[in-house]
Amino acid sequence: MVQVTRRELLTGAAALGAAATVPGARTRPASAQTTPKPELVVAQGGDVSKFDPHFSTSSNDIRVSFNLFDNLVSRYPDGKLHPGLATDWKLQGSTQWTFKIRPGVKWHTGDPFTAADAKWSLERTWDPKIGTRVSTVFTTIDRIEVLDPSTLVIHTKKPDPLLPARLAFYGGQIVPQKYIEKVGNDEFNAKPVGTGPVRFVSWTKDDKLVLEANPDYWGGKIEAERVVFRSIPETAPRIAALLKGEVDVITQLPPDQGERVTGNPSTRVVGALYAGLYVLAVNSKRPPLDNPLVKQALSLAIDRNAIVKELWRGRGIVPTGPIAKGDNHFDTTLAPLAYDPREARERLKKGGYKGEEVVIETTVGYTANDKPMSEAIQGMWRDVGINAKVEVVEYSVRAQKNRDKSFKGLWWSDPTSTLGDPDGMMWRLLSPGGPQDYWRHPRFDELGEAARFSVDEKFRGQAYREMTKIFLEHLPWVPVIQPYEDYGLQKHVEWTPNPNQQFEIRRFNLRFRRA
Amino acid sequence: MRGVLLFLAPRLLRALIAVWLVSTVVFVVMRLSGDPVPLLLPPDAPRSEIFRVRRELGLDQPLPVQYGVFLANVLRGDFGRSIHFREPAFSVVRGYLGATVELGLTSFLLAALVAVPVGLLSAVKRNSPIDHAAMGVALVGQSAPTFFLGILFILLLSLKADLFPTGGRGDWKHLVLPALTLGAFAMASIARLTRSAVLEVLRADYIRTARAKGVAEWIVVAKHTLKNAALPIVTITGLQFGTLLGGAVVTETVFAWPGIGRLAIQSIYNRDYPVVQCAVFLSAVVFIVINFAIDLLYGFLDPRARP
Repeated sequence: MVQVTRRELLTGAAALGAAATVPGARTRPASAQTTPKPELVVAQGGDVSKFDPHFSTSSNDIRVSFNLFDNLVSRYPDGKLHPGLATDWKLQGSTQWTFKIRPGVKWHTGDPFTAADAKWSLERTWDPKIGTRVSTVFTTIDRIEVLDPSTLVIHTKKPDPLLPARLAFYGGQIVPQKYIEKVGNDEFNAKPVGTGPVRFVSWTKDDKLVLEANPDYWGGKIEAERVVFRSIPETAPRIAALLKGEVDVITQLPPDQGERVTGNPSTRVVGALYAGLYVLAVNSKRPPLDNPLVKQALSLAIDRNAIVKELWRGRGIVPTGPIAKGDNHFDTTLAPLAYDPREARERLKKGGYKGEEVVIETTVGYTANDKPMSEAIQGMWRDVGINAKVEVVEYSVRAQKNRDKSFKGLWWSDPTSTLGDPDGMMWRLLSPGGPQDYWRHPRFDELGEAARFSVDEKFRGQAYREMTKIFLEHLPWVPVIQPYEDYGLQKHVEWTPNPNQQFEIRRFNLRFRRA
Repeated sequence: MRGVLLFLAPRLLRALIAVWLVSTVVFVVMRLSGDPVPLLLPPDAPRSEIFRVRRELGLDQPLPVQYGVFLANVLRGDFGRSIHFREPAFSVVRGYLGATVELGLTSFLLAALVAVPVGLLSAVKRNSPIDHAAMGVALVGQSAPTFFLGILFILLLSLKADLFPTGGRGDWKHLVLPALTLGAFAMASIARLTRSAVLEVLRADYIRTARAKGVAEWIVVAKHTLKNAALPIVTITGLQFGTLLGGAVVTETVFAWPGIGRLAIQSIYNRDYPVVQCAVFLSAVVFIVINFAIDLLYGFLDPRARP
């Protein structure tokens, strides 16, 4: 029944005009009407599923939860870390981090936010009684102390150079202790309360989610009075809704559809270079993929420039190694991965390749262009004499194989650089016991472990350079492309996408250009 | 009274068995299709975490035990908690029912009200240009893929002509394109079937007799023909109604319509067992109830089918 009431509320609001729902504007309807654009409508490819930020890591949920809630540290679209609920932080010794908590911040209920909330919220992520989906994010934390309402001290078990970065991503959203203890986890998930720039109003599943501007937001009230998230799963209708002006922003704009949006006088395309890579992950335990020479041949036989140009309409760059451009310690002196079919044949011969089958298990649409890229690469591999085969698997089968580590050969993976650092990407996935642990190399392991627990960035830089060299010889991944993630936008909306799928609508990143 | 019972009892029993079979098949197939846990956790979650969540969801129990729990709960009207949404599965499904009924009913009425008269007209004016045009359109309606039709409507009637919104749920304007798209197939098949049913009756001896008696043509059609042709028309119309109410995955997806078909398919992708089970269960019940109603209607329309 709640659903119906919400819908009635929505219909009523729509009839009165969006501005009328804003308290205060009701008394001055004339001035409200002159507001050029009080509402921001965002269409994404799938709906939200949960509002409790500690129970989801899916990108459809993250776009919303990072705006309902704040983190202690905030990663801006420029890829850098900025103050969030913490105004300042510093490392003392090698394991003690002190965070200054922003004064005067209020929850959407009006209650004050304090350092105690932050401690409670972080500890909630790994509390086995609650069983969140982000219990592994803060495993480096030993204990948290509240020195006073505005000072938080976090002690890590070992030196953790990436603690601020961890606090800026999922799991780090700060949730209200008092409210959750009062209403319980289910009610909090249904009616979330945060400190963020928007407040929850209503949600009708697969229809629309309505949020309103938080007038007291510490970062300034955002320019939209209301923010509506709609889910339009099919690409063509999503684009049609943008072209027709029904929505202001669409996510997941495929590269081959960019021209339709650019060709329309009132819309444009913006993109962010994905904070990660699209790679063919390799089961290096399966012959012939246990042979580095064969894997080098696989990499050399891929004409990545052709893939970028033909399948991505130029919306991507050729990777140089395992570190994404834009991350810490990305080596600008490295050349993009080479295409050399003759050398590929040489290495196959040298490696004693005897025509064993090499299988790509591809999903369809798990990452953009996964199947077309698989087919293109299959052709390129056959050209140099590799017995390549493409098999299609469903997404959940891929998830299962990922868990059982039962892939037959290669499969698509889109390692996201969750921390803006090689540790949060290559080491997170390829380390011993990690989700893509199919290959071991003692020196690689030693360096990865040392870099994870060092707060000396110069040492870390050297370690990752050497690891890159080892990586390029053994190729536990065959990196293929670092794509742009494109969004379609009405021209009057000024907004910059975030490389890591956050959807930043705070005041500094969202403006409506006045006509 | 005894007669009615004799008529109802076996049908009711069959309906119950059908519902039980459907829920069992869905239960088994969903569990064969894979594990929801890897989809819930970040890709780098350790094995211990996966086992913990499996335990939390009761998925560590042997299948027969899970099945027993499932049956016992369903009997009490409890479909469990949605894995994806973290709320009771039934309340999730209930939230989608309104939109489904709204769209299903509209497309059904649209289909039936257009198709039956058109089919009748086609049959009466057999081989006339009207007949050819109507059956031509019906053939296209029946063979055009829903997906294609939906996108075509959006591009032509929404984007180019600016008559209707591109999708979503709202006022009646939002309903037009999805109802047309969804109703197209039903409309076409009802029209074609009406035509052939009427044609068959028109060839019958009693019609020739009626005409020979000098009965006016409209009475021949309205009284003698339509009544006798009603049986197959009611059957196909009823079945189409069930299909339309059961949710329309493709139409709902194209038009971003928050209906039960889309919920079911997304829940299958998410391996959200409780929601899939609940949605399929309710769809099966709707289908069976409609079939039951058709059975009853048969007895009313055709005295020979009465017990």
